[in-house]
Amino acid sequence: MAAVLEWTGDDEEPVPASFPSSQHRVRGRRTPARPGELPADIQAAIWRGNELGSPVTAVLSSGFTALDAELPGAGWPCHSLTEVLQPQPTVAEWRLLAPAMRLVVARGGNVVVVGPPKCPHLPGLRHAGLDERHLVWIQADAPAERLWVTEQLVKTNAAGLLVSWLPQARQEQIRRLQVCALACDGPVFLCRPAAAEHEPSAAPLRVQLRFGLDWELHVHLFKRKGPTHEGDIALKSVPGGLESIITPRLRTPSEFIAARQARELPHVVGSPAPRQAPVRRVTAH
Amino acid sequence: MLWAALLPDKLPSDESRRTEATSGLATWCLQFTPRVAVIEPLSESPAVVMEVESSIRLFGGKRKLVERVRDECGDLGVHQLAWAPTSLAAVAVARSGASNGFSKPLEQVLDGLPLETLASVAAHRATLVRLGCQTLGQVRALPRGGMSRRFDAELLGSLDRAYGLRPEAHAWAELPETFHQKLELMARVELAPAMLFGARRLLLQMTGWLAARHCGVTAFTLRWCHDAMRSKSAGDGGEMTVRTAQPTRDLEHLTRLLAEHLSKVQLLAPVGDLELIAADVQSLEDKGLTLFPEPQQAGESLALVLERIAARLGPDKVLRPVITEDHRIEWMCHWQPAPEPRPRKPGRTVDIPQPTFVLPEPLRLATRADRPLYQGVLIMLAGPHRVEGGWWDRTVVDGQAETRNVARDYWVALSEHAGVLWVFQTRLANDEAAWFLHGTFA
Repeated sequence: MAAVLEWTGDDEEPVPASFPSSQHRVRGRRTPARPGELPADIQAAIWRGNELGSPVTAVLSSGFTALDAELPGAGWPCHSLTEVLQPQPTVAEWRLLAPAMRLVVARGGNVVVVGPPKCPHLPGLRHAGLDERHLVWIQADAPAERLWVTEQLVKTNAAGLLVSWLPQARQEQIRRLQVCALACDGPVFLCRPAAAEHEPSAAPLRVQLRFGLDWELHVHLFKRKGPTHEGDIALKSVPGGLESIITPRLRTPSEFIAARQARELPHVVGSPAPRQAPVRRVTAH
Repeated sequence: MLWAALLPDKLPSDESRRTEATSGLATWCLQFTPRVAVIEPLSESPAVVMEVESSIRLFGGKRKLVERVRDECGDLGVHQLAWAPTSLAAVAVARSGASNGFSKPLEQVLDGLPLETLASVAAHRATLVRLGCQTLGQVRALPRGGMSRRFDAELLGSLDRAYGLRPEAHAWAELPETFHQKLELMARVELAPAMLFGARRLLLQMTGWLAARHCGVTAFTLRWCHDAMRSKSAGDGGEMTVRTAQPTRDLEHLTRLLAEHLSKVQLLAPVGDLELIAADVQSLEDKGLTLFPEPQQAGESLALVLERIAARLGPDKVLRPVITEDHRIEWMCHWQPAPEPRPRKPGRTVDIPQPTFVLPEPLRLATRADRPLYQGVLIMLAGPHRVEGGWWDRTVVDGQAETRNVARDYWVALSEHAGVLWVFQTRLANDEAAWFLHGTFA
């Protein structure tokens, strides 16, 4: 770092005479370079605005190739917080995090969930690679309890992966958690409402997660180390072992939703009287 | 020989209680060495001495051992700690207020000390002062023949033992079979968390006792006795038992656990005395002293942190799942407190789609034209999946016998906003059908 600092402004103008020793050292290491081009060792030490931030910490692969390509360091960051923002909770969290959880469980780590709004259901989570020996559910209802529990788990660095639902956390509380998380080896996910997008947060990675009709997850990284992320990443994901019962027709539910809306449109415009047409149930067996 | 002398401060005036206090200190010392003795246990200023020369390597060197004893002594209420080559010399150095008996050769160290530092010399202090003796060195310079005629044999004997000229004999302290210690608090305590200061001293003694016995504790009881100046309704005191999932003798963990429990206690009257009992003790092997740090300690510390969380939130809030062999979704997965043992044989599950979140109670859905609504009209993707039966599962709810019989048709439904849902249709009374939301495929 010191070498880089010494180089700044050294290209054309002379180094002030008050630092003769540093001038001497810089001269000695200088390699011939064309104007506007830096020597190779300095080139490597410079981070440019258009590249993804270099991973300062370890990462855990997210399991989605498309997502890994956009995440700094190609995976969920360890030693820091990750915020997952959704319009409503318990819609797609497991689907996004399950591949990472599978890795953690394979290493023998524990997955700890703090205060989910609904009961986790293990038979479904087994399809995501979790088992009863590696899952802990902490029922904390009061916001202060959830924060305290999350902080204890982050501080002790005991969980392999921590998911905490903190809908009411304030930004100074998130900052405090982030400082604690610097010493935590596992990734820490905070599930928060989409409205938190407008609040500043100390979490270095913030992810907007939306659910797509055609067995997709739409992920937008609206805060990350590196350049801003444009657009959505669509990730294919079928939850809870439904893969085995999905017929080709069911692969694109959005098509028959569109068809149904086209069919129902006259009724919507017309009177709200009960429809006469027999209800057709779209099913698959 | 490396002798340590520990002088406890502020001993109670009652003789039996004073013996208890010194024996508690001796119990703590026994974790370092079996050679622990109480010097002059019945006098005004008893001292506990221990010989740790042979334990130096086990505790990681002389410096580490001395630092550890010094750090923990403060919490135990030891006001002076001294080190010397003989036990009486260590006691004398401690009583004089110094701590290092190795700074000079032993004779030079002891020669300068006043007469009160050795009990058998102090007994003849009046006579010796009139002879012009102020220090031990001056007493030692007196002719031995005349000394042994004029004073008792104990004076010369203890001087010789202190100077290391004669071997010392001790009545070694023995490790009690059970741990049961009392402590009189220095001041009346009115708030439960403030008892932690005194309780920590007892916990420290208990961890010493556990270390000496190579055991860990799984349950300990803290009792407190109310002050004599209390209202009649307050009673004599109270007690609280703290349990841990695994045997441990980690002082910090036990202290934090106790602090969590104490924060819930409401004292009815000021507390004067504390009592700590190791209720359930199991053998615990020492962790191997390895050359390299072990990376895999996460599981162990997870159990500890879960225990602390359970102490604050309640044991039924920290849960681990158990699969039960049932086809009904409510009873398929049972959550039990984390420390409870899991069934040895894992339950079998059938490989059918299951939601990842379930609602605690099925939520009745509104319908429009026989189609369920949940944040918009639901689109049925797959189904029906029939779940029926359970007449054999009888239970009592609010004093009334009830059968957990279900007859449901489950469907995988899709909502444009709420994701993939697990809904069911069931028949109610009067041949009415109803739709319920039961889970989500999150």
